[in-house]
Amino acid sequence: MMEIAGEQMRSAAPAMGEDNGVSPAERRERQERRTALMLISPGVLWMTLFMVLPMIMVVYVSFWTQTTFTVEPELTTDSWVRFLTSSTYLASTWTTVRIWGIVLLSTLLIGYPVALFIGLMVRNQTLQTALLVICVIPFWTSFLIRVIAWRPMLGTEGAINMILMKLGIIDTPLTSLLFSEFAVLIGMTQIYCVFMVGPITFMLSRIEPSIIEAARDLGAGFGRIFFKVILPLSLPGVIVGAIFVSVMVLGEFATAASLSGRKVNLLGNIIVSQVGSLKWAFASVAGVILTAIIAVVITALLRVVNLRKEM
Amino acid sequence: MLSLSSVTKRYGDVTALDRLSVTVPDDAYVSLLGASGSGKTTLLRVIAGFEEPDGGTVTHDGRRLDGVAPHRRGIGFVFQNFALFPHLSVADNVAFGLRYREDNPVRDAAELKKRVADVIHLVGLEGLETRKVTAISGGQRQRVALARTLVTEPRLVLLDEPLGALDANLRERMCDELRAIRERLKVTFLHVTGSETEALLMGDTVAVLSAGSIAQIGPASSLFSAPRSADVARHLNAYNVLSGRVRKGGFEGAGGRFPLPGELPVRDGAPVEIALRFDRISVAPAGKGAAGGASIPARFIASEFTGASVLSFFRLDDGTLLQVVAHLSGPAPRSFTKDELYDLSFNPQDVIPFTERAA
Repeated sequence: MMEIAGEQMRSAAPAMGEDNGVSPAERRERQERRTALMLISPGVLWMTLFMVLPMIMVVYVSFWTQTTFTVEPELTTDSWVRFLTSSTYLASTWTTVRIWGIVLLSTLLIGYPVALFIGLMVRNQTLQTALLVICVIPFWTSFLIRVIAWRPMLGTEGAINMILMKLGIIDTPLTSLLFSEFAVLIGMTQIYCVFMVGPITFMLSRIEPSIIEAARDLGAGFGRIFFKVILPLSLPGVIVGAIFVSVMVLGEFATAASLSGRKVNLLGNIIVSQVGSLKWAFASVAGVILTAIIAVVITALLRVVNLRKEM
Repeated sequence: MLSLSSVTKRYGDVTALDRLSVTVPDDAYVSLLGASGSGKTTLLRVIAGFEEPDGGTVTHDGRRLDGVAPHRRGIGFVFQNFALFPHLSVADNVAFGLRYREDNPVRDAAELKKRVADVIHLVGLEGLETRKVTAISGGQRQRVALARTLVTEPRLVLLDEPLGALDANLRERMCDELRAIRERLKVTFLHVTGSETEALLMGDTVAVLSAGSIAQIGPASSLFSAPRSADVARHLNAYNVLSGRVRKGGFEGAGGRFPLPGELPVRDGAPVEIALRFDRISVAPAGKGAAGGASIPARFIASEFTGASVLSFFRLDDGTLLQVVAHLSGPAPRSFTKDELYDLSFNPQDVIPFTERAA
């Protein structure tokens, strides 16, 4: 019976004025598919040409044969073996990961309270935007100026040492403030903090004030409200901020070079110096390893919270 | 028993609560009727502790509440927008108060589970425990909000327009359920609403909030049949309010002259406002008004058919609008012609005069 009914429906369809047996729903679906394709094709094309292909190229080049001044397309694992057996390069990989961890933590510890203030305490949208713009002001000056400005602050005759000596806290200037890992950490935290503040503020400002009031009304104190309501609801912001900071810190080389006096060598610094001495194959190895680390970090962060569901 | 004594709350130049005093008895359903901007939400927020009053005191069962942090007041608050925790399931929303409250949290998992299950049964949410609150309907969210508050066993529950976000037939069902739940738990519900039908339907006691203070409080039926001021009559949305002057013990104003019931304690010429119920007026063609009663000539504007009754609008010469309700259970009301003059007749004994605040 069902089959017969279906047969009748099908034979009746063309009589109802539908061309080529295509129903309006199908036609609409095709149209939408065409539109979607048109919207994404420029981006896909661009990314394929300038990101995917170069990345494949870098992986390929990392297996080329490197001589002093030339690089030949003869496949070998020499560069990989050299990188993975050299304590210098493994140490700088570790330094990169360590500095990333510390900077991530310090931007979170400094940025979260700032975001709490802007996102929850300031309920005026205009003022919120104004405060976020203030956080971005450091970016109005060039990177170089910003980094150089740390020298009169942290140097042996810099402002911090002078203040500490005037206060009688120290007798001799601290030499470890500038041209040390400490200086790199301070510089990076200052520059990248705003990338943590922005996304967290955005998530916090979307929390209904009545939700926090409801938690209070149910008898919860501040600590419980923070850990059980505010933090979970802002977690997607923390993750997005952490991804921003991670990608930028892991790929860093300029801050490390100018604030550590070349004492701190990150993977980024190795790539710069190897490219400078035309060691393309070796630079490619470092590049592939750096990219792999970033991929692992981002995957791990995305595991913490399902962004698609939360945003 | 909750009592507020000359509570004042100002926001800049705006006085939201003006020396408001009221007593809410135990084990009662009290509805608080007020127009938007009358300060009703402010009043609830002051009682719950989200705002502190600028003056006056709030006491509950002999305990001073003002100055106490909201999470230590032991008062339940059901928010208009429900304010559920969007990241938690239905059961976790309900368990929140028991689990995380500062005073005497429930640490025993079995007890927690039982109490949550009990209250989920009470509001009829069985089977939805593991759902996210973003994946349930408006009526179900309302129940979660209620369950979440009731599970902490407050003696007093404040409901801020709890039915405002629901659609009409759901609202009616929730009305019955709210009353039934309250009667079973023997707690006090203070239900704030802008709808006079909801206030009269829900409240054993109805309080009318006007200009930041309680204009009248009393049992629903007596409040409805005997408003004490023109303001209260206006809030009930069942009375025409006319203003005029006292002349020889009667009323003289826009609608003409007619006698007033009882002795008025004011001299001739004093301003007076009168209230006349929508359903105590009968309409007749001009010049044919019922003999022996009072009647006002007015022009017909429009009618609204509301199902069980017809609401008709008439305009007096000075522009005052009068409303007349005819119930369709009675003799079928005639249809009227627009802009035609009619006599609106009524028994002068049904007129309620107000002399105090009329100006």
